[in-house]
Amino acid sequence: MLKLKFATLFSTALLLAACSAMFVAPYDETTDHLLTDLSVKTETAIAQADAGQLSVTDREKLFDEALGAVRTLKARSSLFQKNEDEVKALSQLEQRYQDLKQHGASPRSSLATGLRATLLDLQQIQIAKKRSSVFSAGLKKTNSSQ
Amino acid sequence: MSINPSDLIKDMLAAATGAAKGHAADLRTYLEARAKLIADGIVQLAADRAANLITDDDVRFSLQQIKESEATSLLAIDATLKAAAQDAINAALAIATDALNKAVGFALL
Repeated sequence: MLKLKFATLFSTALLLAACSAMFVAPYDETTDHLLTDLSVKTETAIAQADAGQLSVTDREKLFDEALGAVRTLKARSSLFQKNEDEVKALSQLEQRYQDLKQHGASPRSSLATGLRATLLDLQQIQIAKKRSSVFSAGLKKTNSSQ
Repeated sequence: MSINPSDLIKDMLAAATGAAKGHAADLRTYLEARAKLIADGIVQLAADRAANLITDDDVRFSLQQIKESEATSLLAIDATLKAAAQDAINAALAIATDALNKAVGFALL
């Protein structure tokens, strides 16, 4: 009877040990920083465009640099497992910059709403991953201190 | 020490719910911020068109961009829900592990 009880507990223990859920990639600080830098650059350019102070040269520079940054981010994000949502969102962001560039008008706030919304969506993904990573670290700390 | 199943279920549910609450609050804040961003954008679009700063083609372009950005919003919601589910499940498993360790009398896991 005692042997059976121990075997049940042991097999449950093995099951629990193997059953840590992972549905999203861990938080990556570099991705978050690059994305924040890109958002700052974009918002600065939009403010300049609203004020009529963004030259055609500056606009082209913004789009070229933004596309380079998004492609770098996409390459980095694709290296993590369970990161499909972020990679797809970055592809959408790349498309938003390309569309704005091809449209040819100055990126005023009235024309850049879709782009700004997509940047916000990617920031939310970072927030969710960061909260989850902090939570997981807390769980591991609690378990290891027992 | 034996495990009381009803207490264990109650504790696991409480841990899972607590873990998901933070994500739920984040999601609400995000959706409010997104709705405000779109609403402000539409107001600005109408103002810029009225002031002849942009053309009808620009208006159509901007609306199409907003429409296409909704796909990314779904991805953000999906990632948040997955993170919430992950934390909820792991929190519940941590409670189960703790109960098991207490039942066997040593840190088996």
